[in-house]
Amino acid sequence: MRIRLRITTLIATAAVLASVANLKSQDAGTNAPASKKAEQPEKPKKESADTKVKPAPKKLTGAELYSIHCNRCHPERYPTERTAAQWKTILLHMRVRANLPAGQARMILKYLQENSGR
Amino acid sequence: MKTRLVFGLAAAGCALAVAFPPRAAADISDDQFNELKKLVIQQGKKTEEQDKRIEQLEKSHSQDQKALEEDQKVHEQDQQKIQQLEQQLRATQQTVTNTEQKVTAAALLQPVPRVPIDEATVNHNFSILGDAEFQYAKTSGQHGAFLFADFAPIFLYRGGENVLFEAGFDFILQNNAPASPGETTTVNLSFAQLDYLFNDYVTLVAGNMLLPLGTYSERSAGWLNKFPDTPLARSLVPSNGVGAQLRGAVPVGEAGKSITYSVYGVNGPSSSAPDGPGNGNAGNLDLGGNVGLKSDNTVANLHGHPSGGARVGYFFPYKPHYDFELGLSGQSGEWDNAGTHLWSAGILDASLHLGASFEAKGEYIKSYYGSDDLGNIRAGGWWVQAGYKLAGLNLELPGINNLELVGRYDFDRDGLGTRTRRYSLGGVYYLSNTLLFEAAYEFLHSNDPTQQNQLILQLSYGF
Repeated sequence: MRIRLRITTLIATAAVLASVANLKSQDAGTNAPASKKAEQPEKPKKESADTKVKPAPKKLTGAELYSIHCNRCHPERYPTERTAAQWKTILLHMRVRANLPAGQARMILKYLQENSGR
Repeated sequence: MKTRLVFGLAAAGCALAVAFPPRAAADISDDQFNELKKLVIQQGKKTEEQDKRIEQLEKSHSQDQKALEEDQKVHEQDQQKIQQLEQQLRATQQTVTNTEQKVTAAALLQPVPRVPIDEATVNHNFSILGDAEFQYAKTSGQHGAFLFADFAPIFLYRGGENVLFEAGFDFILQNNAPASPGETTTVNLSFAQLDYLFNDYVTLVAGNMLLPLGTYSERSAGWLNKFPDTPLARSLVPSNGVGAQLRGAVPVGEAGKSITYSVYGVNGPSSSAPDGPGNGNAGNLDLGGNVGLKSDNTVANLHGHPSGGARVGYFFPYKPHYDFELGLSGQSGEWDNAGTHLWSAGILDASLHLGASFEAKGEYIKSYYGSDDLGNIRAGGWWVQAGYKLAGLNLELPGINNLELVGRYDFDRDGLGTRTRRYSLGGVYYLSNTLLFEAAYEFLHSNDPTQQNQLILQLSYGF
């Protein structure tokens, strides 16, 4: 019972520490020191027609979609590992296996074929 | 000229006649002389006018003659040009004829070289993927042993833009002992399915399919699993089934989000006992044996109706390497030959990625089935697994960037009295993106005495 409790605690602690470390490393470059923030007065926001219109969401590129989908289950596979024809077959397999949206699968295929080099 | 001379002589004759009139003639008066003089002067004027007219006509005639001569010259030049062009045409025709003869002769001697095709547009392609695992395992109370755990090739044949046939095998090497000496190679067909893309949202899958019950079966082949064995609770549900399926994904917005679905029908779980009393006993439940072709070569479902199942999932990527997925799936159908008992299962699955270094995933599994001897049986379990790649710590130590620490907790109870709890700690060292060395120590707590702690070392290669 004690060993079970210790091991469960160990796994949970490791997971929490890992996620905190990960989030901290992501935020390291964005947090400004509090003193610097206090010195800068807030600039009044100008109201214009532009601030009221939300910009259209940016479409994801093939490389971004590749980063989103192709690292979820297995380590990254490099585009140069396969020929363009092989990628076409493999993407068909992955589209079915991972249930990828068709348009996104096509963009990922285009990215892989353009960068396969063969 | 002649005309002028004639008129000149006539005028002179008249003048002489006037100057020397004939004696025998009668004398003329002044009036007659004046009239005659006027007449001569008029004749003279007329003669001059005619002379001028003659000059003009002669000039005009001369000009016409010149023009005619020039036209004749131009005509002659045109004739020469035409002759030259005709000669050139004859020469060109001869050249074309000679070239055709040469080409025909060359073609007969040497075949036209094949133009290399663009590989990206090839309409069919055969590829082999897969993985292989080699292990050293030491179970508590047993001798440690090397074992060839699995060779699992996947054959892919793309027959067009929308058709794919894929099949996966498991080659397993197993002792014949203690029954007999030697070893046996076992080949299992883990899946063999035909995929046909109707459109962007619907794909038909048919054959011996990996089932979308949870995500483990479809996304956790040997080398994809960071632990060298399967979560305990996965033994409560089938991993594949013979039937047909419709599946697809619907994108939500432009940021990569999507809703996925799968709906399928399969023969379903069955009983491994012969037909008759006891067929529906709990211990005879067979999750994966109902493949349609019986051992006596007859074709039949082992029970009256197929089972149906489905999965719906929601995938939410916040940005690359930051995503969350949640899915709910289930299957239900009769399992005994008489069709009096249902077998049902439901799975809640989830996965989380926080950056390139951290991932967590798991499944909660429940199953329920009726039986002749033990009544209704409730089985269930769950597993959760987390991994952290030490590259996320940004430490400048040799080899540490290729190391990932992994931990797993899994639990299952089979509804027949066996409960097992397992804690696994380990690591994965990435020798490359496809060659992994895995090590795990598993702490087992179970009322099944065969479940013991074990150390497993595995070399796993994905290709």
